[in-house]
Amino acid sequence: MELILIPLVVAILACFVPKQMLKYFSLAGAIASLVVVSVHALAYCGSSHFVTLIDPGFITAFGLSFKMAYDGMSLFMLVLTSLIFLLIVLSNFNNETASSKKFVAMIFLMLFALNGVFTSMDGMVFYIFWEITLIPVFLIALWYGAENRKKALMKFFIYTFIGSLAMLLSLIAIKVNAASFAHSDLMAVELSSKAAFWIMGGFFLAFAIKAPIFPFHTWQPDTYTVSPMAGTMLLSALMLKMALYGMVRWMIPLAPEAMEFMLPIIVVLSLIGIVYTAILAIKGDDIKRIFAFASISHVGLIAAGIMLFNKDALSAAFLQMFNHSLVAIGLFLAAGILEQRLNTRNLYEMGGIAKLAPKFGFWFAVIGFASVSVPFSSGFIGEFLLLKELYEYKWIVGLLAGTTLVFGAVYTLRAYQLSMFGPAKIESFIDLSWNEWLVFFVLGIVVLALGLFPQIVFDFVGPSIENLMESVELSKNIVK
Amino acid sequence: MGINTLILTVLALPLFGALINGVFGKRLPKIVVGSIATIVMFIAFALALTIFSSLHDSVKVHLYEFVNFESFKLNFSLQVDALSIWMTLIITGVGSLIHLFSMGYMSHDKGYYKFFTYLNVFVFSMLILVLGSNYFMLFFGWEGVGICSYLLIGFHFSDLKKGVANSVAARKAFIMNRIGDLALLIGLFLILAQFGTLEYTELADKILVEKINPSKWMMFGITICLFIGATGKSAQIPLFTWLPDAMAGPTPVSALIHAATMVTAGIFLVVRSNFMFELPGADLTKEIMLYVGLATSLVAAFIAMRQNDIKKVLAYSTVSQLGFIFVSLGMGGYVAAMFHVTTHAFFKALLFLGSGSVIHAMSDEQDIRQMGGLKKYIPITHITFLIGTLAIAGFPFLSGFFSKDEILAHALSHNIVVYILLAFSALLTAIYMFRLYFVVFHGKFRGTDEVKHHLHESPLNMTLPLMVLAVLSVIGGVLNIPSLFGEGMAHWMTHFLEHTTLGLSAIEHLHLSNGQVIMLMTSASVLTLIALVVSYIVYVKKESTPASDDKITGWVKLSANKLYFDEIYNFLFVKPLEILSSFGNKFIEVTLLNKSVYGFANLIGKSGELVRKWQTGIVSSYILWMVFGIVGLVVYYIIIKK
Repeated sequence: MELILIPLVVAILACFVPKQMLKYFSLAGAIASLVVVSVHALAYCGSSHFVTLIDPGFITAFGLSFKMAYDGMSLFMLVLTSLIFLLIVLSNFNNETASSKKFVAMIFLMLFALNGVFTSMDGMVFYIFWEITLIPVFLIALWYGAENRKKALMKFFIYTFIGSLAMLLSLIAIKVNAASFAHSDLMAVELSSKAAFWIMGGFFLAFAIKAPIFPFHTWQPDTYTVSPMAGTMLLSALMLKMALYGMVRWMIPLAPEAMEFMLPIIVVLSLIGIVYTAILAIKGDDIKRIFAFASISHVGLIAAGIMLFNKDALSAAFLQMFNHSLVAIGLFLAAGILEQRLNTRNLYEMGGIAKLAPKFGFWFAVIGFASVSVPFSSGFIGEFLLLKELYEYKWIVGLLAGTTLVFGAVYTLRAYQLSMFGPAKIESFIDLSWNEWLVFFVLGIVVLALGLFPQIVFDFVGPSIENLMESVELSKNIVK
Repeated sequence: MGINTLILTVLALPLFGALINGVFGKRLPKIVVGSIATIVMFIAFALALTIFSSLHDSVKVHLYEFVNFESFKLNFSLQVDALSIWMTLIITGVGSLIHLFSMGYMSHDKGYYKFFTYLNVFVFSMLILVLGSNYFMLFFGWEGVGICSYLLIGFHFSDLKKGVANSVAARKAFIMNRIGDLALLIGLFLILAQFGTLEYTELADKILVEKINPSKWMMFGITICLFIGATGKSAQIPLFTWLPDAMAGPTPVSALIHAATMVTAGIFLVVRSNFMFELPGADLTKEIMLYVGLATSLVAAFIAMRQNDIKKVLAYSTVSQLGFIFVSLGMGGYVAAMFHVTTHAFFKALLFLGSGSVIHAMSDEQDIRQMGGLKKYIPITHITFLIGTLAIAGFPFLSGFFSKDEILAHALSHNIVVYILLAFSALLTAIYMFRLYFVVFHGKFRGTDEVKHHLHESPLNMTLPLMVLAVLSVIGGVLNIPSLFGEGMAHWMTHFLEHTTLGLSAIEHLHLSNGQVIMLMTSASVLTLIALVVSYIVYVKKESTPASDDKITGWVKLSANKLYFDEIYNFLFVKPLEILSSFGNKFIEVTLLNKSVYGFANLIGKSGELVRKWQTGIVSSYILWMVFGIVGLVVYYIIIKK
């Protein structure tokens, strides 16, 4: 229980903590969450069973079971979330917003909702937590975002709202034949392939918008660019992981009957996204926008891997999710530092900063390289395995997805070079403060550790993945 | 110490050096930084020598598994055999000399500690590449050396004059390499799909012992992918244009990475995979390899004829020599290829370091039109450079003479046309190298007085590596001399490499009679001497110097402008991609997708407005609508439903 409640308590208490203490308070809260999650993770390591958090044992008239539990996959997402969350708090530590009550309350509300999303074992509870996450990111962008934020946020809202609606319809449609909204009950429902198609389609719309997957992505670059740094980080490093997790936990297991039909569609859409957004990122002068496109491109690869729904591909997808979050934090921190100190996001107004701020130059380079999946970085193995799986699915898919190797290098190096290399256009640039340095340092260490020992991740999520796949197979066989 | 500990120490040493310098280098004095980096290299070389001298068997050192899936494993393990230890010797041996040279060459540079850190990391990655026991390790090192190359080419990124150009060159190298890497990756997936493993020993077992014979197209697919990967790293057509630009890096980098070691990675890859290249289906790849190598060799030699940047000449010569080696691989001459890789490492490292010494003396001037008559100012550099030139030109009994000759022998027994073209390429090599030598070291000094005033011979830590490499360039041919010169030492390298390298012993030898060998050697010597005499007459007797850029026409212009490869690639690939990107950003994203979303929002808004119009607030109009409604219902129920 404490897993979910700590963030909520912190969020509420934040409203009463004195202003000058607030940032220390939020840091302590974030650390506490991480410690608690880590304790759970260490105790769980290697098993595959579900650990129940809430199970009241009854079902309401509406069909709510309130079940919440975690297995290896959920717990992995919780570790990821709390670690990344701590880094977000840390990178924002010296900003004005860190001492704002409503800001701190909102980010902890976000953590609360995310933890809820990853531990819900009831469709309706999942949906509710899913919707709650929308509030903090929306408000943070609205309160602290860039000038032209209203239009972009409008678009963001319309998109996600439509997606959520579709998911709700799918949930209700499947519940009609189920005993309750409990995950196991929903999974047991037999679906005709036509019904399965609509249900999976509904889920997919919600997840494809949030991830985002082509062509549902146009809200994302706009929203990323207008959101403040912390907002962008929450969106890219954490919120979109809900969609990928949702695909694994809900979309595919609930309507596996539709896989035959949907698999090629979703893989192709992801593939288009990988290549198309990578090409978009090659040009353009807004550094945040470039990284936003890069994010879509990387997510496309993960989504395609998830759709293959085999153990190796899913394991690789989980590793790559972690990697994506790490890289996203790093890149958007770098972009945030540049924007904050130069007052521009335009690459052509930057230049020569590596010489003025060598520490920043070094760590930005480290993250940049991690983003193009060089050896010793977690992305190297994740990308290798995902591409291999896609290649085995259809060689042409693997080949086209592999172009990310080339395009990724093109846009990342271009962005780095334009901002950091060449003659300096300004006279001074404040180098990393201690908290920014610490974030980069932790990112570097984790990227390196996962790059050298990715098997840790596979051992952690592997048994649960097997478990899930077995039960999916089982429910499919009943139908037959 | 056992071989396991030894090899791990060899691998760990450069990493250790990089860590020390990377973390503390900023606070340490330059001499300490340079010494640490250099000493770890020398120790690594000494240890590699120990292993080399006691190597009886192929040894596999397993550390742990990166990935341990049920269907396959990716191991972190090393394979110590003749081939990998030979490459290790080249890397650490030539590498330590270049480190020593760098201590002097980079002594005025602010990024001194960074430079040595990168250099050590490079050596570490390169060692992973050659020592790994599977294709995944190779790919690991392969990508690793790519990054180091990127960092070192763009080392002077903040230079006022050339900073932007340097970083553009670095990016170009990285991206072009990545294109090759993608092909290599696909090749790895194919191998994995076909054989279920990436371990060299297991693959060799399956192919050589179990005689698994995949379909021809599969083998063609695998080998062609590996070869395309190799064209990236080893700068072959079509992916070669990055290498000349890579000369933007500091000269020791050009010597170590872009001449002696990294660019031979592609060759190593093919030699390592020799058992796959001998299967049916791969013969087509080999044929392609042969002609690509031949074309590259000729094209690069042609371009090198009229380059005026001392390093560019050497860069194109590297590309040309690598092409030469690929021709050899295409004919199944794996040992001959490794032989030339070895001698090339000696004399090309020597030439690059020599050019570094020249540039050092010339206050960073690289244009040979500004040089001339340098032999009396920098005598040691002059003599060693001359030796390097003679070695690469194939002057009788120097190292390049023997290694080139072996490739030419393969060509002669393969196809007379290939032999003639290859011999022509060798002739061109001799001509442009002698041109370079004479223009730089003979005649009158053509630079400014200020540069002339500063002309000086380099310090001992720079000239010592030159002397050592010069000696190696002279005697390197002994490694694999034909039996014509006595049976004792004959074909030593062939025997050594075949002894423990997977697959190599299964490959048939080329047997030439003594007469043929003499014929080959004589014709090669004659060609080299002709080139020497002609160049001497043109550049020393007639004292002609290369014309300035605006006065050239015809083939000279084509050569000086590098056959317009960059312009063509720009037009074919870069521009269309940029246009596509702009089109996507400006049209698809904004007009197409955005408008449809806002269109949807507007639709809702508009429909709201439509409904709002009805809510006029005037009671009479509501009554009117109500009446309409009632009438409608009545009509519906009474008339239509009936």
